[in-house]
Amino acid sequence: MSWKKVCKATDVAPNTLKKFWIDGGIPIVIANYGSGFAAIPPMCPHMEEPLEISGVISNCVLTCTKHLWAWNLATLEQHGTETEKDIKSYQCKEENGDILALVEEEIVYEFDDEDDMDDDSFFAKS
Amino acid sequence: MPARNHSQWLAKPKLEGGEWIDSRVYSDQNVFDDEMERIFKKVWIPVCHESELPKPYDFRTTSIAGEPIIIARGPDNEVRAFLNVCPHRGMLLERRPSGSFLEGQPSGNPKRITCMFHAWQFDMKGSCVYVAREKEGYQDRLCKEDVGLRRLRCEVKFGGFVWVSLDDNPKISLEDWAGEPFDCLRKSIDAEPLEVFHYHKAIIDTNYKLWHDTNSEFYHDFMHYHNRVTGFNDAYFARKNFAFKHGHVVVGTFEVNYENYEGFESRGALSFPHLPPNQWYMVDLFPGMNFNLRGSALRCDVVTPLGPDKVMIEFRGLGLKRDTPEERETRINHHNSIWGPFGRNLHEDLIGVAGQGTTMRPHTEPRQILHGRHENQTIHDEIGMRHYYDEWGRWMDRLPNDPDQPWHERNPGESAEAAE
Ligand code: FES
Ligand code: FES
Ligand SMILES: [Fe+2]
Repeated sequence: MSWKKVCKATDVAPNTLKKFWIDGGIPIVIANYGSGFAAIPPMCPHMEEPLEISGVISNCVLTCTKHLWAWNLATLEQHGTETEKDIKSYQCKEENGDILALVEEEIVYEFDDEDDMDDDSFFAKS
Repeated sequence: MPARNHSQWLAKPKLEGGEWIDSRVYSDQNVFDDEMERIFKKVWIPVCHESELPKPYDFRTTSIAGEPIIIARGPDNEVRAFLNVCPHRGMLLERRPSGSFLEGQPSGNPKRITCMFHAWQFDMKGSCVYVAREKEGYQDRLCKEDVGLRRLRCEVKFGGFVWVSLDDNPKISLEDWAGEPFDCLRKSIDAEPLEVFHYHKAIIDTNYKLWHDTNSEFYHDFMHYHNRVTGFNDAYFARKNFAFKHGHVVVGTFEVNYENYEGFESRGALSFPHLPPNQWYMVDLFPGMNFNLRGSALRCDVVTPLGPDKVMIEFRGLGLKRDTPEERETRINHHNSIWGPFGRNLHEDLIGVAGQGTTMRPHTEPRQILHGRHENQTIHDEIGMRHYYDEWGRWMDRLPNDPDQPWHERNPGESAEAAE
């Protein structure tokens, strides 16, 4: 477990998100919410949407524009009526103009997968 | 023979009942509607080849009997088929002919099939995974579990083709349906993975069966100048047609002497596995598919009937997946020089059936179409077509030479619809 440099603070403009790769493979999105930075896994916990593309930030709130799940990036609390899951994040700090994240291993969300039925039982259902 | 007046022209031919058919079989809208219900919605259709969706989330769209269909490869590598229809308000779910679901859509997410209309989403197993503002609108009256896609019977078989049936409980399994006619090809096409290297389609103003008939009779080699001058030898005339149950026909092998063809070379070096050099096999499957292995290249035709006088024919050429670039180029050359859109035979065959389509438009006077050549089942014997229409009559419960009459009354004791 160690602090890893992700980017420079100036790489990510206020109210935007940008995707970086650290340690040659782990993808991290840095979100600049104006009064600070958050380091999050790139996918929306709802349905794998890339947040660096479909996320927007306003008043500290990150909203995934696909189905309007939203989180306050300063407190990481859920925001609005649509959100059903928490957002996960890496610890993050700014030091000498660099953005550092505490990365032990890649954070991933669990997405449920439907079981498949074998054809005969599937097509016999009524 | 003198020309005939109208009543002489309409008189029944001097052939047996099964040796000619009535052209309304090719031109009548009611016959066509029945064919969609009684045949195309019941049988197995090879809608594409698995190499056309090589990666997880790859898809293709097509249709059977007018029903739109989507074929997609899941993250588990399984190929599945679904009706391409949204359960909400019936929108066509996917409008592209092919592509990948790996990347998101403007109103949908990666790895999902998204209906662009109101953003409902489905996974690669057909489960509904998102209904926009579900609780607000449906409370607990309807939920995602209730609105999955319609999944269809789908199997990858016989050289990697993807077979779909609109019938959830087909009377005949795919193996029983086509296993026997494919016997002659199976070792060659199942030895290792194949890959589609050629695709084109033709939309022709003609009836789909006229295309299948042409694939089933070789008498029309008189139209193919090259075949006539280079192929008519003893071995050619000795080839036999073999009829299989369910209306299928196989034309036996013979050795093609490509060296005799100016500009052609032997295909021995690139022959498919287990196929003796330069041999040729052909399988005609009821109701309109053709598999033709000419040494180094496999051709597959699939018809999609669009109306009594309109058909889409898809042509695919296949080689071995492991081909080197040079081998592949040679194979493509072998394929296209005969079967490409500018090849030696194909456009001539299309002219043939387009001409028939012109004389058999809907509402033209019924004509007699002769299928009466008997030559001990050899190559110019028209047994292939007779065998097909025997099966057709059974499935349709119509007599091919009098399509308003029920087949079962003239064939007592035999049951109409799929034999066995
Ligand atoms: S995918 Fe982000 S809210 Fe649905
Ligand atoms: S028709 Fe597909 S979501 Fe409404
Ligand atoms: Fe031909």
